[in-house]
Formats: sequence, structure tokens, C-alpha cells
Amino acid sequence: MAIVAQNSKYGKAGRTILAWGVGLLFFFPIFWLVLTSFKTDADAVKPEFLFFFTPTLENYLNMTENYDYWRFATNSVITSVFATLFTLAVGIPCAYAMAFNPSRGTKDILMWMLSTKMLPAAAVLYPMTFLTKSMGLFDTHFLVIMVLSLINLPIVVWMLFTYFKEIPKEIIEAGQMDGVNTLGEIREILIPLAWGGIASTALLCFIFCWNEAYWTVRLTTTEAATLSKLIEGNRAPEGLFFGRLSAVSAAAVGPIVVLGWFCQKQLVQGLTFGAVK
Amino acid sequence: MSNRTLPRLLQTPAVILLLIWMLVPLSMTLYFSFIRYVLNNLRRPEWTTPSIENWRGFGNYNFVLNNQDFWLAVQNSLLIVCSILFLTVILGVLIAVLINKAFPGRSLVRVLLISPFFVMPAVNAVLWINMILDPVLGLQGLAVGGINAVIADLQNAPIIGPFFSLWPALEPISFRATQTSAYAVIIMVTWQWTPFAVLIFMTSLQSEDQQQKEAAILDGASAWSQFRFLTLPHLGRPIAIVVMIQAIFHLSLYAEIEIVSRGNGNKNLPYLIGEFANNNIGAASATGIFAVILANIVAIFLLRMIGKTLME
Repeated sequence: MAIVAQNSKYGKAGRTILAWGVGLLFFFPIFWLVLTSFKTDADAVKPEFLFFFTPTLENYLNMTENYDYWRFATNSVITSVFATLFTLAVGIPCAYAMAFNPSRGTKDILMWMLSTKMLPAAAVLYPMTFLTKSMGLFDTHFLVIMVLSLINLPIVVWMLFTYFKEIPKEIIEAGQMDGVNTLGEIREILIPLAWGGIASTALLCFIFCWNEAYWTVRLTTTEAATLSKLIEGNRAPEGLFFGRLSAVSAAAVGPIVVLGWFCQKQLVQGLTFGAVK
Repeated sequence: MSNRTLPRLLQTPAVILLLIWMLVPLSMTLYFSFIRYVLNNLRRPEWTTPSIENWRGFGNYNFVLNNQDFWLAVQNSLLIVCSILFLTVILGVLIAVLINKAFPGRSLVRVLLISPFFVMPAVNAVLWINMILDPVLGLQGLAVGGINAVIADLQNAPIIGPFFSLWPALEPISFRATQTSAYAVIIMVTWQWTPFAVLIFMTSLQSEDQQQKEAAILDGASAWSQFRFLTLPHLGRPIAIVVMIQAIFHLSLYAEIEIVSRGNGNKNLPYLIGEFANNNIGAASATGIFAVILANIVAIFLLRMIGKTLME
């Protein structure tokens, strides 16, 4: 028994070290990005300044000058916030109907919604370009908001549906007895009850909008271009601008990575459509 | 109006929006894939506007199937997707088992591990291909240069010098070349999606039957056979789901390919479609239909699996 105990003691220490090693290894590229962002462009490519250098804030202070960062960031915020709000506005009533008044077709509608998520975006690249250009919507905030909403709507409906299903039907029905109408029911009973679920759904939807990199790149040029487009446009600095490019990249992903830490659990649900519990 | 009609009507906006979103562009793609439609053609200006009179039947599909680029793109798509799936599942299972048991700082390690997943694809690609993998100025170039310098110093050292003189100088790998840029994409996407696999496998491991496990330990089962006969079967379903979800996402990889391999031959299907769409819309649309078929093969299995748990 003693041997076993000792073994597991060493085993535990070894496992702890290994686990920390893996965690740090995976985090290293992000750490490296942030570290490089505090180096001058010249220092960033010199081997003698790999880890020890004189940190500078210059790259962050010149983000506007170098990349017009705030314009792209504003576009990202506007499109992601409004897309999230619009998705919720359409998704909450839909999920409510599915959870509390299901019909025989509900399951099929849900499955069909998910299937739209699985179509490859590239397949409709030209029609989308053609339609948006001929309607004068190309490179507008409205278009980006609509596209981001539609690609996230299936996931949002799905997540909300799974949250709403947990709410006892009797509570909603009690509201009906009291003569509250349907919209009042949603506003006064459902939303307060499912607040946590709605908030985390919104958070995840916001993250997906922020990181979207196909339509935001292909359907914008300057007016509504988001941070994805900005970074994609500066893809190959040939070593000249590693410092400033790192700063703008770190500024683009920093807030989202931190937000992401708070919704790990919802991520599993949102991305597996509840198939893993 | 019955008591339930209004509530049910509430799902119509979402359904109609998604219906338009799915049907309109897709039917246009289908239509364009059967006609001759190019954006610039001086000799045949009538082909530059979509019209039923330019009907080409399966001509575009034939053109695409006989195009070498298409087969290279299919091959490349499959290479990238399969490699990523293989690596993320293996790494995901190993790491999930590793951090499933409590150890000091576990929640912090979880936070470190999951972070790559929230990095936007464009930044992921720019970061890896420049700051890390660049053969001269990136971390790779600097590391290789550093190792070579150390070896050179050792070669000049007395006594042990001759031994080290047998060592060849290391060559950094250029990940922007046609042959290697797929590997760069595989590395960066694996980095980003392994955390996803870990998270899902960990969620699933938490529901593993502990009594069964304890019984196995009492019976003297080794750690390996516990893993092989209890944990792995338990993870079967999550593995299948991780594989299918990732397959669907990675078949439409775009930003990473665009950033890493613009200007060289490393294309995948979405990238090839983008290239065709610069002029030959017919071919772009036919390629798009092939991409839909490829994604649907996976999606059908995935939907069936989700459907089973949907109403539980």
C-alpha cells in the first residue's frame, strides 16, 4: 500500500507539472503576441531582445495613426452589438414558441435551422456579392449586421430553446391565467426567469460575431470593414512592422479572449448543439 | 384565433429570415452553375449577363471536374481537415484526461488552455505565419539562428569541437512555400481547436461513471486498461461530435488560407471558389455545389446524432 501511495504522490506532482506545461504551451503564442506588442519594430526582430528589452507603449499609442484602429474597432463593436441584439429579438420569441407551445413540426424546424449553419459560406459567395451590390448594400453596416445575425440565429435559437425548456411550464401558464398577453409573458415572466441563459447566449453570439472572418472580409471594403478585415489586410509585414502589428492584433483579440473566459460552459452547449452534456 | 396560434406565430420571423437566407443565394448558385456566366469576355459579351439562353447544362461541372486546380483543392482541403481532426482529437483526449483530476491551479490552467479558441482567425494566422513561423525574423528563424550559433561556438571549442563539427547547421523551414503552407495552416488551426476538443471531452468525462471506475481499480485494472475499456468508450460519442463539427467548420476555412498562402498554389475549396468568382461565375458556382455536397455528407450524420438527443 505504501508503494502505491508514494507512486500516486509522485504521479500527482508529475501530472501537475505536465498539466501546467501544456497550459503554458498553449497560451504561449498569445503571450508572445502581447510581449512583441511592447517592443519597437526594430527590437521585435532582434534575437538579443527576445525576452529582455525596454518596453514601450509607442505601438499602442500610434494605433490610430498606423492602422486607423479605432475606426475598424468601432465598426466591429457596432456590427457585433446590433447583430447580437437583433438575433436575440428574433430568437427569443422563436425559442419561446418552440419551448412552450411545441407542435409536431418543432423538432424538424430546429433541425432544419441547424442545417443552414452547415452550408459552406463560400458556395454562395458570388450570389451574395451580386445581390448586395445590386441592392446597394455592399460594404454597409446594415448588411454586416444582417449577415452576422443570420449566421448566428440557429445557434442562438438552439441555446435559448435548451434554457427555456428547463423552465417549468406551470409558471408560464400561471401568467396566462392572470390574463397577461403573450408579449407580456415574454417580457415579464420569461426574460427575468431565463436572464442568466439569455445573457450567456448573447455573450457567445457577440464573440462569434466579433471573430467572423468570411463575410466581413468578402462583403466589405472600407465603410463597414471590421477588425478581421483590418488584420487580414496587413497579413505580410515582412518583419518590418512586427511590433505595431502585434499591438493592433492584441488590441483586436484581447477583450474577446477575456470575455471568452467567462463563457466556457456555454461554449460547449452552443457549439455542440447540446449533444454533449 | 385559438389560444396557441399567436405563440406559434412567434417563430415565423426567424423561420422566414433563415428561409430567405438559405434559399435565395443557394438557388442562384444552382442556376449560375448551369449557365455560361463570366464577368469579362470581350469576344462573347453575351456571356457577361446571366441569362437562361446561355444554358450550359453540366458543362461547368465538367469544366471543374477536368480542372487540375479543383482536384488539388479537394486534396488539399481533405489533407488539412483530416490532419487537424487527427491531431485535435488525440491531443484533446490526452489533455482532457490529464487535467480531469484535481491539481493545484487547475482552473487557471483551464483558462490558459481555452484562450486560443477565442482568438480571431485573422489574428491567429498573422501571428503564427509572421511572429512565430517566419524563417528569418519569426521565433522559428531566431531559434534556428541561435542554435546554429551555439553549435558554431561548440565546433571551435577544444577537445569536443571535432565531435560537434559533424553536426550540420539547421535550416529553417519556410512555411509560405506551396508545399509547406498547408502545414502552417494545420499547425495554427490545431492550436486554436485543440482547446475546443479538450473542453468538450472534459465536459463528457465529468459524467463518467465513477462507481464503475472504482470497481475497476478494486479489481486491479491498470491505468491503461481503465482508459482503454472505460474512458475511451465513454468518449466515443463526444469524439464523433467533435470530428463532425470540426469537419464542417474546417471545410470552409478561409482567413487562414488567404493569409498564409495568397499567391501560391496552396488552395482549398473556399479559396478556389473565391478565385473562380473573380471571373468565371459558372465554374465558381459549380465548385460551390460540390462544396455543399461535401459538407452535407458530414452534416447528415451530425444532424442525425443531434436529433436523437434533441427532445430528451
